[in-house]
Amino acid sequence: MKALLFIILFSLGLSAFSQEGKKVQFVGGARSLISQSDFTSDVSDTVTAPKTTGGYALIDLGFKINPNENTEVLGMIRINNQFGGFYGAGVTFDVRQIHVKGVAGKVLRYQIGNIDYKLTPYTFYNHNPDLLVQSLGINKIKEEVLNYESFYKNNNWRQQGAAADFAIQFPKIIQELKFNGFITRLNPSAPGTVTPGSGLLERLYGGGNVIMKQSKYLTIGVNHVRIFDLLQTANNDNAYRNVVNSISYDLNKDGKKIKLSLDGESGMSKSFSTQNAEGGLSDFFIHVKGQVSFKKCGLKLKMAYMENGADFRSFGAQSKRMDFNQVNSFYDRYTNSQILRPLSYYDLYNDPSLYSSSFSTKIMSFNPSINNVLPYGIATFNRQGFYAGFNYSDPKKIIAADVTFYRLGEIRGQGTTQLRSFSYLTSTVSFNLSNWMHWKKKQVFQLGLAYQKTERSSQFTFEQINLKSLTASLGLELEICPDLYLLGSAFLFTSKGNESMPVRTPEGTIINFNEYLVDGKEINLSSGIKFNFSKEVYVAAVYESNKNNFSAENPYKYNQILLYYIMKF
Amino acid sequence: MKYYITLSALILVLFSCHKKDSKIDGPSLEDLNGQFSVLSPLAASIDSVDFASGETVYFTALFSKTSEWNLKITGLVSGAVKTMTGTSNELKASSSLWSGETTNLPIFKNENCKVELTFPNEPDTLIAYVKIIQAKVNSGFLISDFENGFNSGWTSFIQSGANMNFQVLSDASSPQGNKYYNMAGTVDWDWLIGLVNFKSTAYGGAPAFPLSANSDNVYFNVMIYGEEGTTNSLVLFQFEEDENSNGIFSSASEDMYSKEIKVDWIGWKLISVKYSDLVNLVNGVPAAPNGNGVHDSDKIKTINMLHLANPNSGFAKSKLDYIIFTENGPLVP
Repeated sequence: MKALLFIILFSLGLSAFSQEGKKVQFVGGARSLISQSDFTSDVSDTVTAPKTTGGYALIDLGFKINPNENTEVLGMIRINNQFGGFYGAGVTFDVRQIHVKGVAGKVLRYQIGNIDYKLTPYTFYNHNPDLLVQSLGINKIKEEVLNYESFYKNNNWRQQGAAADFAIQFPKIIQELKFNGFITRLNPSAPGTVTPGSGLLERLYGGGNVIMKQSKYLTIGVNHVRIFDLLQTANNDNAYRNVVNSISYDLNKDGKKIKLSLDGESGMSKSFSTQNAEGGLSDFFIHVKGQVSFKKCGLKLKMAYMENGADFRSFGAQSKRMDFNQVNSFYDRYTNSQILRPLSYYDLYNDPSLYSSSFSTKIMSFNPSINNVLPYGIATFNRQGFYAGFNYSDPKKIIAADVTFYRLGEIRGQGTTQLRSFSYLTSTVSFNLSNWMHWKKKQVFQLGLAYQKTERSSQFTFEQINLKSLTASLGLELEICPDLYLLGSAFLFTSKGNESMPVRTPEGTIINFNEYLVDGKEINLSSGIKFNFSKEVYVAAVYESNKNNFSAENPYKYNQILLYYIMKF
Repeated sequence: MKYYITLSALILVLFSCHKKDSKIDGPSLEDLNGQFSVLSPLAASIDSVDFASGETVYFTALFSKTSEWNLKITGLVSGAVKTMTGTSNELKASSSLWSGETTNLPIFKNENCKVELTFPNEPDTLIAYVKIIQAKVNSGFLISDFENGFNSGWTSFIQSGANMNFQVLSDASSPQGNKYYNMAGTVDWDWLIGLVNFKSTAYGGAPAFPLSANSDNVYFNVMIYGEEGTTNSLVLFQFEEDENSNGIFSSASEDMYSKEIKVDWIGWKLISVKYSDLVNLVNGVPAAPNGNGVHDSDKIKTINMLHLANPNSGFAKSKLDYIIFTENGPLVP
C-alpha cells in the first residue's frame, strides 16, 4: 500500500504566479538603437549610398494578469517606431507574445499559447551551431539583442501550442516520475487548387517524455517527438511524418573529492511520407559522455562518443537558427554592378532579422566556412567519433577555461565512398583581473577560439577536400568608475580551402554538388562605453570597424557608430 | 568504477555501431566530374526485327561514368524517328527496349534504321543499324489508312470553291503507308469546304462500328497534317449514335458527339481522344446532347469529317491519315 502512495508535486510553489499578491503586473522591455554606417568597397562604386543613418525605438509592453493564485495570463504587444517615421508612418504594433499558464487541480501544470520548449539535444532542442565563440563586451550586447528578439533562451524553441507536465513521487524504488507533453502547430493548412496534392496539410509537432528519477544517482528518460501532417485538412493525401524516439540517462556518483557521471542519449528516427512509406529514411544515434570532476581544483574532464546515422532526421533538433540562403538587409547590394553582398559571419551578430524563431522541417543550408563539423549542432546527421575536453575554474574565480576537441568523421560518403574527417577545437578562456587584484570594479578579459578542419582524401582531385576555418573573439569589460564600463571586442574569421556542397531537393535528397572555394578574412574591431543605470537598464555607445575580403574581387569595409539603450522591466 | 565501465559497455553493445556505409549520398562525383569514355560500343540485341510478330530489340553500350544520353532511331526510307533519353552509365534492355513505335510521325516501315547514340555533354556519337523485317501492327478498328483509295461506302460533299482538292494522294509524306486524304480549297461564302461521311455500313454492312460499349476504353485516333503558312483549317469529327438501333440517326432525339480540332501546327500530328471525353457541340460550343446523354460507343453509326475554315481566311489545307479506333489506350504508332 505504501508503494502505491504517491505525492503530487506542484501543489506548492504557486506564489510565483502571483507575486506579492498583485493581480496585474507590467512586464517587458524597451530598446532604442541609433546607427550611423559608412560603407566602402575597393572597387568603383558610385551607386551604393555609402552612408546610412537609421534606428528605432521599441517597447514591449506586457500585461501579466493573475485572476487567481493558480492562473497567469500574459499578453505583450510591441510598439516599434523606425526613426524618421511621423504621425503613424513607420510605426508598427505587433503582438509579441501571449499565453495562459497555471496549475489545474493542484496537479497538472499547463501552458497554452506561446511556449518556450525543449526536450533533449536529439529530439527537441535549439542548438546554436553558428556563433561558435562566446561573446563578451560589444558582441555580447549584440548577441543579447538577437537572443531577445528570437526568444532564444536556454536552447528553447518558441512555439505556439500547449504544454503540460506533472509528476508523481514514490516512497520506494523510484523517487519520482515526471511526465512532460506538448503539441504545437508548425504550419497552417492551405487548400491548394483542384489539382490533387497541391494543398498544404496542417503540420503539427508533438511529443513528450517520461523522466524517472530513481535516486540522486540515476535518472532515465524516455523521449518521443513527432512531426505529422493532418490528413483531410487540404487537397493532399501525402502526409509527412518524422518520428524520433530516444532514451536519455544520467548516472552519477558524487564523492567528497570527485564526482563521476555518465550521461547520454540513444535512439532512432523515422521520416517518411504516407504515400511512400518504403522510401522513407530511418536511422539511429548514440551519444555517451563520461565526466570526472575534481572538486578541489575546479577541474572537470569529459570524454564522449557519438554516432549519428546518415539518415537520422530530427528536425526539432537539427534546425538552424538562420537560413544561409537568405539575403542581407544591411547593405544588401554594392559595387556599380550592384552585386548581392553575401552574408558575412559578422552579419550574424549585427542583424537580428536574419534569425527565425521557429524551426524548419527541411534540411537547412549552412556555411561550411563557419561550421562544417556540426552544422546542425550535436544532433548533426552522418557524424561519428569522439570528443574530449576539460573545464577549469580556479577556486578564486580568476581564470576559467572551457576546451573541447572533436574528432569526427562521416558514416556515409557524399558522392563518393571516401569519407570526410573533421577536427574541431573550441575553447573559451576568461580572465577576471578584478578577482586577481582584489579590485571591487569588474575587469574581465575573454578569449574565444574555434578552429575547424575538414579533409577528404582521394585519388581523384575532384573528390579531395581540404577546408580550414578559424574564428577568434577577444572581449573585454573594464569598469573604470562605478557602473561605467569600457568595452572592447575584436573578432577574426578566416577560412581557406574547398568543399563539395550538396544540392538538395526540398525533400532533402542530394541531386548535385557545387564546388565551394574560399579564401577570405573578416576582421571586426570595436570599442565603446556602457553605463549601467541598474542591473536591467543600460546605455552603450559603440564604434566598430569591419573589413571583409571573402570576395577577392569585391572586398569591402564599413564603420559604424551605434548607440544602444536597453531596458527590461 | 567497475559499475560505470560495465554500464558503458552495456550501452555501447545495446546499439551496434554504424559500419562504414557502402552506399553514397547523392550522385557519384566520379560520374559528375570524371573523364568520359566508351567502354563498350553501341550494339543492337538483334540485327533484324519482326515487330509484327511481337519481337523487340534493345541496345547496349557501356560508358566510364553516368552520363545523359539520347538514342535516336531513324527509318532510312520513311524518315520516322524514335527517340529515347536517359541518364546512366550503360544502355541495357530496361532503358532502351524498342517495340517498333515511333516518337515523331511518320510510322516506321519495313526498312533499315540508323541508330545514333549521342551525349549532350560529350562530343561522342555512336552508331549502329537495325533492320525492320515487319513494321509494328497496331491493333484496333481501322476506319481508313487510305491505302485502298476512297471507300465506295462513304459519301462526301465538296464545295465548288477555288483550288479545291479533296482526294486520296500518294507520296512520301504519308505518315503511314503511302497514301493519305488531301483536303484543300478556298470557299469564301461558307465555313464548310468539304466533308466525308464514314458510314459503318461501308464495313461489311454493319449497323454500327464494332466497338466496345465501354466508352471509357474506346479511343479515336487520327493523324492530321498542318500545312505551313495556313493555320485556318478546322477539322470537325461528328459521331452519330443510333441509340435505338433502328438504322437511322435522328439528330433531334439521339446523341451526336463531336471533336473540333484547330490545325495550327506544321506537319503530321497524332490526335487521340477518349470517346467518353467527347461533347456535343452546337456551332462549336458545348451543349447538352439531344439523346440519352450516354456515350454509346458501340452504337456509332456514322462519323462525319468536316473540313472547315473561316470564309474570310482564304485558302485552307490539311491532310488526314490513319483514322483508327483503339481500346484500352490511345494509339501508340
